[in-house]
Amino acid sequence: MTTLIVVVGLAVYVLLYLTYGKKLERSVVKATDDETPSQRMFDGVDYVPAKAPVLFGHHFASIAGAAPIVGPVLAMAWGWVPGLLWVWFGNIFIGAVHDYLALMASVRYDGRSVQFVASDVIAKRTGKTFYWLVFFLLILVIGAFGAVLGNMFIANGQVPSAYILKLVAALILGVLLYRVKMNFTAATIIGIIMLVLAIIGGHQFPINASRDVWMLVMFFYIIIASAVPVNILLQPRDYLNSWLLYIGLAIGGIAAIFSFAGFTAPAFTSFAPIVSGGQPSPFWPVIPLIIACGSLSGFHALVGSGTTSKQIEKEKHGLPIGYGAMLTEGFLSTIVIISVSGFGLSIIQGAGQDLTVANWGSAYAGAMNASFGAATTFTNSYAAMVDSTFLTILPTEIVKVIAGMWVASFAMTTLDTTNRLGRYTLSEILLPLKAKNESMFNFLTNRWIASTIPAIIGIYLAWSGSFTILWPSFGSANQLIASIALLTGAAWVMKRQKAKNANIVLIPAYLLWITVTAAIIWFSVVVLPGTIEANPTTGIVVLIIEIVMLIMNFVFIIDFLKNKDKPLASEA
Amino acid sequence: MHGGKGGVFARIFGYIRFFFSTMDQSHRNKVTEVTEFEVKELENLFVLLLMGSFTGIPSPPSFVAAELLPHLEHEIKVLNERAKNSFDSLADMASLLDID
Repeated sequence: MTTLIVVVGLAVYVLLYLTYGKKLERSVVKATDDETPSQRMFDGVDYVPAKAPVLFGHHFASIAGAAPIVGPVLAMAWGWVPGLLWVWFGNIFIGAVHDYLALMASVRYDGRSVQFVASDVIAKRTGKTFYWLVFFLLILVIGAFGAVLGNMFIANGQVPSAYILKLVAALILGVLLYRVKMNFTAATIIGIIMLVLAIIGGHQFPINASRDVWMLVMFFYIIIASAVPVNILLQPRDYLNSWLLYIGLAIGGIAAIFSFAGFTAPAFTSFAPIVSGGQPSPFWPVIPLIIACGSLSGFHALVGSGTTSKQIEKEKHGLPIGYGAMLTEGFLSTIVIISVSGFGLSIIQGAGQDLTVANWGSAYAGAMNASFGAATTFTNSYAAMVDSTFLTILPTEIVKVIAGMWVASFAMTTLDTTNRLGRYTLSEILLPLKAKNESMFNFLTNRWIASTIPAIIGIYLAWSGSFTILWPSFGSANQLIASIALLTGAAWVMKRQKAKNANIVLIPAYLLWITVTAAIIWFSVVVLPGTIEANPTTGIVVLIIEIVMLIMNFVFIIDFLKNKDKPLASEA
Repeated sequence: MHGGKGGVFARIFGYIRFFFSTMDQSHRNKVTEVTEFEVKELENLFVLLLMGSFTGIPSPPSFVAAELLPHLEHEIKVLNERAKNSFDSLADMASLLDID
């Protein structure tokens, strides 16, 4: 079954890329042979053409993270079929379209961001909305990923130990590259050897500590990592991470193809099993809050319209890079679903949890959370899947650490980079305050204050809140950005492209807006009251964020509906 | 027959080499992006210093600035473009930092 699903998944992706993707390219984006910004505005610095495979790798490494791994594990509560269908079809018809349009709209706007495009084709304040949503997303992503990492480090002490050793390896690599000025290839080989040693060292010397200790460690790590010059720690660390991503994907892909295992998880449990906050969670509209990045992620619109659009060599490269990279991320989520479907049940049962196929819908989320948490449930399932193939020559415990490092590295990268973006977004948000109270503005936008605000709130949420609350909260901010970006894409298609097939984008955009809005209302009305009762501060902080986002969402749709048929100012 | 097999192996080896070299190039591009971002900031400071005397900042003296100015021809073009995009850095930063 595992093999069959991988093959079917690959076939679906390839087939729809060649049909639906190509149709989008021809009739909606209308890709031409015209010069792209990288050629038209070549400056050798920001605007530089990159070869398509290289840019694909770069773009994919930027969009792939821990979220497409963690979300599908939680979504298994519905059974494996609903999650898989959302990953495949949400990805093909919404998520990849969203990424592709954001990239191509940016290409046609001289490499400007989706935020700029939104200001032009919808309304100025739509562009401003991005700052708020990104700021909320940063807080919630720290909360959600902090909770994921906390559970993960408690479940397997080898992972944090290996991660700390990897940081030491990154520091050494930084010294070799920038101080010793060693040849890059030689330094890379040494870096990979140190990475392997870190994995073995982590396996040999696990660090076991309580959740409180890990939360404090993470908080101080975020602060220190944001203060250390990037070339000392973060840059070599990210370089080692890229290798981990490809090693993890290669081992997982081969294992999924050759495992030939049956699925032990049920195909479908019920429309509304227990997923978020211990509440029955209806598949519609809740699913996008649970599976965000594997299917659709608003952050990708920003990534694509940032550096990728300035480096794309030809418009026709947009489809493999913008659309194709997102399908590859969907494939990553497919591997996650396959491994947990095939091996998750026995792993959770092995931890002493009362989980069976019969009670899966009501017990899975709780049992998964209480045993290992989402990330470790995946890494243990992944290791079991690898063990069921000829790759069994790799020791299972080591594979667990490799997979754990893979997920932890991505989650940690997110935690320690949010400070930099947090400071920037807060400065933009607070700009109106400057005229009224300059000293307060200067205080709040001070390097240390501004950059630690998301860290303080986020880690507090992770410390005090439950994963099944924080994860959907992060999903809501992410999917709201996606909704705005997709409607921006639709407005661009209608107004600038004047495409006859605008509905191919407009209908998914409306569906997404309605779904995300309904999901946030459901989450705020059904789930959060219980959280507020159990943990007032956490519940109220999340509720305030959800309400503000919801208000912005309505303002945004009103702007969109009001302006969608109006000609652009430049064409009026 | 033997040559055919050799050809197949050479082709497979070529694909593997292409895959790894592409991957390596992608990784390098990605990590150097961070340095490029810092260099941009330094260039901004450099230009500010040189152009400063024209806008009233008292350093360095005008004749030093005038002497160094020709070396900045390319940078001034780049900075002109950047000035147009200076309010639009959110996406650039988002693609620089691996979030989510």
